[in-house]
Amino acid sequence: MDKILFNPIRLKIMSSLINNSECDFNYLKKITESTQGNLSIQLKKLKEEKYIHIKKKFSDNYPKTSCSITKKGKIKFEEFFRNLITLKENG
Amino acid sequence: MNSTEQQIEIINSIIKSTKENLKPLSVNFIFWGVLIIAMSLFNYAFPSVFQSAQYSGLLFWTVLPLIGFILNIYYNIKIRKKAGYETYLSRVIKIIWGVFNLSWIYIIALSYTLKSFHPIPPILFLLGIILIITGLIIKFKPITLGGIFLTIFTFYLNFNPGINLFLVNVIGLSFGVLLPGLSLFYSKSDNKSDG
Repeated sequence: MDKILFNPIRLKIMSSLINNSECDFNYLKKITESTQGNLSIQLKKLKEEKYIHIKKKFSDNYPKTSCSITKKGKIKFEEFFRNLITLKENG
Repeated sequence: MNSTEQQIEIINSIIKSTKENLKPLSVNFIFWGVLIIAMSLFNYAFPSVFQSAQYSGLLFWTVLPLIGFILNIYYNIKIRKKAGYETYLSRVIKIIWGVFNLSWIYIIALSYTLKSFHPIPPILFLLGIILIITGLIIKFKPITLGGIFLTIFTFYLNFNPGINLFLVNVIGLSFGVLLPGLSLFYSKSDNKSDG
């Protein structure tokens, strides 16, 4: 099993990104129910593993972060999900 | 550490939380339907306004839609910011309509180069095809039917070249864009999660 996706915050981030072409930082903060600092750390970890892309830009003079899943991230997530299903079926 | 069931539950609940909101798409249809119908009716009712100056028609049919594009883009950016995410479905629809806008500019430019070429029939035909694609993607029959109507209507135009093309625009946009847009706006299934 992929240890990166074992973390519930990272799993929530990846579950959201697999379903959307792009998600903003504030939206990810809301759905992961995590703090700004914790979310930043988890996003950084996912980025280091090349599971996600992080895009930073300025909007109305405020920095805005948006994330999207990479091809590697997609493959790893699908693998992880398949393994979970296999584990569940095998009891 | 989470159990397998808990992890599957996390994935399911996050995926289910993403809603495909089709209301903004219906607002776009209504906006363009009303704008183009109003412009066509104005052009039909007051042809003398467009005969008074050489480029009045060109200015009318490029400046107003351009303002419409800017307002439309501003509205869609605002909606996207508010949602905080963009689904794959929204992205596909955005790309399809972006290609339509480019084709529209191409047809308008061509019509001003080739004087015998009227832009309305090819634009309506293209609009019909794009509406069919959009309707099939979002699984909303009135939009697909609007597109089919426009496609058949433009085919019929080829055999009846005498019809006033501004009235054609009014009929085409009313049944192809405005009514399907209103139908989508008042549809109960405005939030679909099949994105």
